[in-house]
Amino acid sequence: MYKFLEYGVYGASILLILIGLYAVLTKKSLIKIVIGLSIIDGGIHLLLITIGYLRQGTAPIFSPGFENAAAKMVDPVPQALVLTAIVIGFGVTAVALSLVIRLYRHHRTLQIDEIKSLKW
Amino acid sequence: MRKFLVILILAVLGFYLFEAFSGLGLGFPRFEHGVKDYYLDKTVSELHVANTVTSIVVSFRGFDTLGEVTVLFLAVSALGSVLYKRRHDVGSRSILFASSGIVRSGSKLLFPAIILLGVYIFIHGHLTPGGGFQGGAIIATGFLLMLLAYENFRVSHHVLSYVESLAGIIFVVIGLLGFIDGGTFLQNFLPSGILNELFSGGVIGIIYVMVGFKVAAELTGLIYSVLHEKD
Amino acid sequence: MVGSPVLLIAVPLLAAFVIPLIGMIWKELVRIVPGLVLAYMLVLSVTLLVEVNQNGTIVETIAGWKAPWGINLVYSNLTGLLATIITTLGFLVWMFSYRFKRNVDFEPAKKYFIFLMMLVAGATGIVITGDIFNQFVFIEITGISAYALTAFYTGRNSAEAAFKYLMMGSLASSFLLIAIAIIYSQLGTLNMAEIASKMHTMDPVFKVIALIFFITGIGIEAEIFPLNGWAPDAYTEAPGPIGAAFAGVVVKAGIYAVIRMVFTLFDIPAAHDFLITIGLITLIVAESTALRQEKLKRMLAYSSIGQMGLVLVAFGIGTHAGVFAALFLMLNHAVIKPLLFFSGSYLVFNSKEKRISEVNGLGKFMPYTAGLFALGSFAIVGLPPFAGFWSKLSVLTAAADEGLLLVIALVLIVSVIEIVYYFRVVNRIFFQEYNKEESVVPHKPRFNAIIAMTVLAILILVIGFYPDAVTGMLHSASSDLLDKSGYIDNVLQVGQSLIR
Repeated sequence: MYKFLEYGVYGASILLILIGLYAVLTKKSLIKIVIGLSIIDGGIHLLLITIGYLRQGTAPIFSPGFENAAAKMVDPVPQALVLTAIVIGFGVTAVALSLVIRLYRHHRTLQIDEIKSLKW
Repeated sequence: MRKFLVILILAVLGFYLFEAFSGLGLGFPRFEHGVKDYYLDKTVSELHVANTVTSIVVSFRGFDTLGEVTVLFLAVSALGSVLYKRRHDVGSRSILFASSGIVRSGSKLLFPAIILLGVYIFIHGHLTPGGGFQGGAIIATGFLLMLLAYENFRVSHHVLSYVESLAGIIFVVIGLLGFIDGGTFLQNFLPSGILNELFSGGVIGIIYVMVGFKVAAELTGLIYSVLHEKD
Repeated sequence: MVGSPVLLIAVPLLAAFVIPLIGMIWKELVRIVPGLVLAYMLVLSVTLLVEVNQNGTIVETIAGWKAPWGINLVYSNLTGLLATIITTLGFLVWMFSYRFKRNVDFEPAKKYFIFLMMLVAGATGIVITGDIFNQFVFIEITGISAYALTAFYTGRNSAEAAFKYLMMGSLASSFLLIAIAIIYSQLGTLNMAEIASKMHTMDPVFKVIALIFFITGIGIEAEIFPLNGWAPDAYTEAPGPIGAAFAGVVVKAGIYAVIRMVFTLFDIPAAHDFLITIGLITLIVAESTALRQEKLKRMLAYSSIGQMGLVLVAFGIGTHAGVFAALFLMLNHAVIKPLLFFSGSYLVFNSKEKRISEVNGLGKFMPYTAGLFALGSFAIVGLPPFAGFWSKLSVLTAAADEGLLLVIALVLIVSVIEIVYYFRVVNRIFFQEYNKEESVVPHKPRFNAIIAMTVLAILILVIGFYPDAVTGMLHSASSDLLDKSGYIDNVLQVGQSLIR
């Protein structure tokens, strides 16, 4: 059961990262590229959370009467990191979308082939 | 051809990533001397905060949170600067479908409740699984609902900018106040109270409320400026 | 005592939040306050560097939690030197860009100075932090400021350059996050010193995977070869002074992050050979591409990438002499390349295309600016009396000590290429006829721009004629980088060495 879960969760998060990378590398639409970047972020966040998981653990919140339950709690550090990473990812996505809007304003298209005026 | 190459590269990458992580095992306590146990211990014994994630985000790694708030601030500024138009070019919102009466009355009813929920969540960030970012995001959804339901709903850019700046300033100033009594930046200088009461955790609660205000103002401003983008 | 290292970050952040409010009082304040903040950062970083030189490394804890648990800032000879370079450059860029183009509206001008200030603060943060996740946060702060500055002009190309930069930057930060996840899952800590002390317990395979992800993640800011696709476009499309800020500030921070990983965090000996290889490839590809460029700023951008390749080669040698040479190169590059960007942006001021062929005969119209460009060109290719000569010489001696003949040969060949393309431009400026149809209308530099350029020129001459002025500092910085156990001890026993 746990073996299945283990491969499932790690596999799913790595698959998400790969799907996102595929979208960024091959898709021609700017919006799809931005979506790809978000999917990569999602995969990494899932990966980080999975690292902190503990079998039959509880949330790292101390309720009244359970002040000594620290040994049963999942690792809170990755959760804190993911909270930070989500906000940063959100910020980057917002800037990316604003650039997409600007590009659309100038070129009237979202296809990357048609707006490549700069050399790689 | 290009796609095939990309898939090949990704397959190699995926193999190594899976190698690196599948050997970890799932759900075992892994490190003998990791930072985790110290955090769980000190959260209860010194900070008197119930939610360990909050204590990490605001106290142990509070500097990250300051940076993160700055990233959000910069992202909103960047959005404004990238989409900048001279005053006379700015139009009103483009509306595809006028909202119906049901949506209008319903959102008027829901709006105060959403704001209240958001405020509750960021005030209780150190007791429950909530916090400034979550609460702020909920408040921003309230404003989004109103903006979608009413075509002429206006949010003052000046007020948003005041709230945003003041919340940020208070965050940094609280950090600088940590220097009194020979402490360090962001150090707690208030009494830490009793575990599981609203007034506990010293500066943690205040900082998270400020983060809540800041995130709410920033996300609302962001939604507002994108909605008013008309080409 | 002016303050502690954390103020290098906290004060600009405070100012960034204050500026939108004070702009409502008097509009000129949004230009002045960032300058004051950058000047304060400059004074603070120099004072702290002097203090570090006398009393040893300053390790500052944040929020009162000691090193492995809380975030800490490390201000040592090395990080202090780099922070000082960064803040100096930041202040000069501010001075140069004060009213650079007057027709910019109030709202964008306000944003411009906020982003410039945050770019410098973020780069300083990358250098002085002692925690990998905190470094990631600062990389993002620097990154978002850089994207916004690249897209500052409202032309169509700037948005495209910025999108390209953002796409690569975002991918890179994802890789960085994966590397952090690997490290945390193996060692259970995020503090650099503790990672360094526990690194030997990690499986070598994971080590290599993590290092590769780290280098791809940071290499984007450091302009390492396959990851530098953004650089020429961003340098070309961003406002002139921002090119100088990228070359002097962002790249320096990126290089620091790479070498901190290779020298302190990871104990993989092969990583040094990797640095030499990747550095040589970067050097050769960039310099030979620079030769073919027709636009001035693109040429400068490729030259900048090439110089960073040379820096990596010198770091890869790994001996004290090699590290010394690399730091010397970084210092010189930080002084010379901004001068080239500053004067170059006035040479092609009113031009749309910014072609090299447009600078014909400008030496007659703007002798001072053109003269400074020539000085910068002579210095960067390494003509004897100027600054670049000493750093190139020290790279060659360091390589000779280790018997790396291939490196010496390639560096010499590349120097010849550099001389060809820089002298081509200088030749056009001074010895070609001014052609009204093709050339741009000359634009006299403003007073503050002249001061900023003159300061850089004086620095070049001082380093050139009296290199002993800086070598002592560079030697102590290079011993600091190589002293891995010293770094770990300093950080993990923070209680004793905390000086406030």
